[in-house]
Amino acid sequence: MNELLQQILNGLAIGSVYTLVALGLTVVFGILGIAHFAHGSLAMFGGYLTFVFSTSMGLSFFASIALAMPVGAVMGMLIERLAYRPVRDAPHINAFIIALGLTMMLEGGNLLLFGADQVIIQTPYQQVFDFGGIFVAQLRMVVIVTAVTLVAVVTLLLLKTKTGKSVRAVAQNRHAAVLMGVNVNFVSSVVFAISSALGVAAGALIGALLALAPGVGESFAVKGFAVLILGGLGSLPGAILGGLVLGVSESLAAGFLSSAYKDVISFLIMILVLLVMPQGLMGKK
Amino acid sequence: MKLKTPLTLAALLISAALTPAVHASEEVLVLGVNDALTGGGAVYGLPQANAVQMAADEINAAGGIKAGSITYKLKVITSDDKANPTEATNSVRKLIDRDNVKYLVGFCCSGSTSAVASFIAKEDAVMLVGNAAERAITAQGIPNVFRTRPPADFTGAAAGTFVAQKGARNVAVIGALEVGFYTQYVDAFEKELNKVGGKIIAKEAFGLRDRDMTPQLTKIRGLKPDAILVVGYVEPAAFVYRQAVELGINVPRYGFTSGSEEQFLKVVTSGQMEGVWDLRPTELTIEALGAQAKAYDANYRKKFGQSPTPSSPYAYDQVYVLKNAIERAGSAKDAKKVAEAVRTLPIPKEAVMKYMANDGSAMFDQNGQAYTSNGAFQWQKGKWVFVAELPSDNKAYSQFLRSIRK
Amino acid sequence: MRRLISNPLVFSVMVVAGALAMPHAFKSPYYIHLMTLALIWIVLAQGQNLTQGFVGYVSIAQAGFMGIGAYISTLLTMKYGVSVWATLVIAPLLTGVMAIVAGYPSLRVKGHYFSIVTLAYNMVIFIVLMTFSALTGGEAGIPDVPRPSELTLFGYVFSFEGRSNLNYYALALTAAVLATTCCAFILHSRVGRVMLAIRQNEDLAEAMGVITSRYKLFAFVMSSILAGLAGTLYAHYIGFLNPEPFGVDQSLNIILAVILGGSGTLTGPIVGAVSVIFLPELLRFADSFRLMTYGLILVVATIFLPKGLVPLVATLWRRLRTSQPVAGDNKPTSKA
Repeated sequence: MNELLQQILNGLAIGSVYTLVALGLTVVFGILGIAHFAHGSLAMFGGYLTFVFSTSMGLSFFASIALAMPVGAVMGMLIERLAYRPVRDAPHINAFIIALGLTMMLEGGNLLLFGADQVIIQTPYQQVFDFGGIFVAQLRMVVIVTAVTLVAVVTLLLLKTKTGKSVRAVAQNRHAAVLMGVNVNFVSSVVFAISSALGVAAGALIGALLALAPGVGESFAVKGFAVLILGGLGSLPGAILGGLVLGVSESLAAGFLSSAYKDVISFLIMILVLLVMPQGLMGKK
Repeated sequence: MKLKTPLTLAALLISAALTPAVHASEEVLVLGVNDALTGGGAVYGLPQANAVQMAADEINAAGGIKAGSITYKLKVITSDDKANPTEATNSVRKLIDRDNVKYLVGFCCSGSTSAVASFIAKEDAVMLVGNAAERAITAQGIPNVFRTRPPADFTGAAAGTFVAQKGARNVAVIGALEVGFYTQYVDAFEKELNKVGGKIIAKEAFGLRDRDMTPQLTKIRGLKPDAILVVGYVEPAAFVYRQAVELGINVPRYGFTSGSEEQFLKVVTSGQMEGVWDLRPTELTIEALGAQAKAYDANYRKKFGQSPTPSSPYAYDQVYVLKNAIERAGSAKDAKKVAEAVRTLPIPKEAVMKYMANDGSAMFDQNGQAYTSNGAFQWQKGKWVFVAELPSDNKAYSQFLRSIRK
Repeated sequence: MRRLISNPLVFSVMVVAGALAMPHAFKSPYYIHLMTLALIWIVLAQGQNLTQGFVGYVSIAQAGFMGIGAYISTLLTMKYGVSVWATLVIAPLLTGVMAIVAGYPSLRVKGHYFSIVTLAYNMVIFIVLMTFSALTGGEAGIPDVPRPSELTLFGYVFSFEGRSNLNYYALALTAAVLATTCCAFILHSRVGRVMLAIRQNEDLAEAMGVITSRYKLFAFVMSSILAGLAGTLYAHYIGFLNPEPFGVDQSLNIILAVILGGSGTLTGPIVGAVSVIFLPELLRFADSFRLMTYGLILVVATIFLPKGLVPLVATLWRRLRTSQPVAGDNKPTSKA
């Protein structure tokens, strides 16, 4: 029983990171219809940036993230304006291929700027708490809390603000939104800004809990899409539930089935969901 | 006398013609480094490339390689194989065909090195392999392939004996088990452990890119081992050590990872590493080796601004092996002759690693394999400390390696 | 003379003749080695073109199927003593069978979903190849993969051993020609026209009564058969096989090759494959920039040259000949 609880707890921390990544993906996909595969590599950039801020400027972990997030938002808006907007009216596949190209560019840029060795962001949250045989690392709790907070903030933004209303209007029906006077370009920029800011935060959390290295961004992007599919493309609650489910099931699969085939299991889940229940756990048909 | 002058002149001319040229001619000898300079293998490949450059510069500064009447000055060309087999064949093809390289060094990574080994026998070249630990590379009897780093299972057996002596009987293994040489290490380890009645109670895996091993460690914790063996690359392995502590595992941790203090401290605190063992070839350990190693460490730091990785001297020694072999063979023009010279070469005095002599005090055995001693290292107060040599038998292993040749 | 060249059949024969003569002009084993690889990549790219260019479904699994073909052939020849000549036929067909199994369910989903599923397939294939080392040798790989045995034709003995072997080059060339011809037949047949219609507007095609799933599956399977052939040729050429070349990065490379050259055309994949093999070698000096350059090319090509290089060159050629602007090219609405 102890082991089961421990595995579930382990999985929740990684699951909340998946949720954060998936959230950044789902706002772009659900609202703009773009499969923004480069999100993972942008998240890595954000993580590396956080590392640079915390080491060279001596800022605290959260201050560094706070500084990196606006930078990420600006980068996201630039990417939208320069790379995605020109193909907005082209077939969707073009945008996906642009996303692949952007991934390569960002990975290459990260490699040039930050090197090939793994980078770990040091944090002051190094304690470990023992709850009768179940060990919880303080850092993992910090990660979960941070992710939950950011998700709540974004949800509030989208539900309660005027900008949020415009964004949701575009998501429902772009043409109608235009007719109602919504500035679609503005909405596109806002969506990418939100997505990229979330991505930067996710990258920083990955950098603190795990490590930033070449290739990590891509694998998180793929896991992010797995969460989207699991939860339902374009669904916010789906991304939240899907992320936690993926994180915990990976942990349980590795712990009780096979650690060698851990990633295979998560991909198989994804393929299965896509084929049997393409709308996901919480998506609309 | 009138007749003397022409005679003297003639005598002078004849003696001048008969005197051999006193000055030696100088030539450039191109050394090709094929290594992973970018990508995941760069942590092993780049330091090797640096070490080669440093050795070449030292040799040139000391006057070059004197083979017969020619003095060779070394020129190093590096080529990136990205630890990828196709890239490696392209890279070596380019070095041999476009850059006219006969002497190839470096080779940090097994997959790409194996790809090159599969065609190098037909080339006019000598290939010296470094960090790549896959046993098959020297198990095929290729006459122009030599390796300075010992195969992993040679160390694994020694490690198993050591851990058994320490009293462990239920060992849980967690490692990069998809990689052949790590599995070979574990198999050899297991054999020795079984001899005293111990057993391996779990074999959990992680990949090169994995950083969260808490599921595997939680499972291991539930099995209540009396020791843990961690085999794998330093970058993920560091996480295993940290997460083991975070999960409350407090049995002895043995490892086969290599890795400098810097690489570990990026991920795990010194307190969390305290007491961890590394059972590996002695590699670059100042106190276990000697003056040569101290000088290497100091020079490397000065030249490159960071400490050398423990496995980088495998490449440094390759260059001195070549130097001594070329001098013995008397020329660098015939790769085959140089290969034969390497085969019977005694251990060079400039070598940094500590090698065990083979038959006839040769550095390389009948398989082209050199053997460094194996050591038990322990993390004590922020540093890897050499504790003891592991009991290793290179002559027996050499026979074994010969016996598995197909 | 011009009219002769513009006849596609004559043009093709000239190209093939040129390719056959090439190694005798550029004797360096290094070039022959690269060209052999390029020919193998042409087979791959033509396959990718079938799904990406003709039907419009971007598959990110091509490298995975290449790996399956490579391992099937290697294991058949090394464990069961089957001749390489036989596995050159068997392995691609078996790869096609696996593609039916994978493709049948996944082609029910469209657009992005399909691409993401194929991405997942490639990752699964890669992980299994790496982990199931009892069968595949894992990351350590399988050395000494054999070359095809000697052939005796018309009294001449053709040996395939040795580095940068000219006969192996010819074998790869034959395969590339076969792949291109095969795709040419498909393109000009009724099946090809339906595939292109699906790419234009799948819903419309379905409304017209076309059972699109059959055509999509056909393209997917054919494309994987070509991938399997490429994999077989690759494994027996390099002589050493490990999973490294069959990861997602390689699939992305193949997508790039098809886009760069021009998807939906027959010469596009050829140009793309050759570029993708030679570009890294030419850019060796700027290795650290390689990824960025690739990505930039992909982005720029998709925005400004959605049809690829070959149609661009063809347009310029036409313009030069007739000195009249050709309408309707490079509109942003064309598919990449």
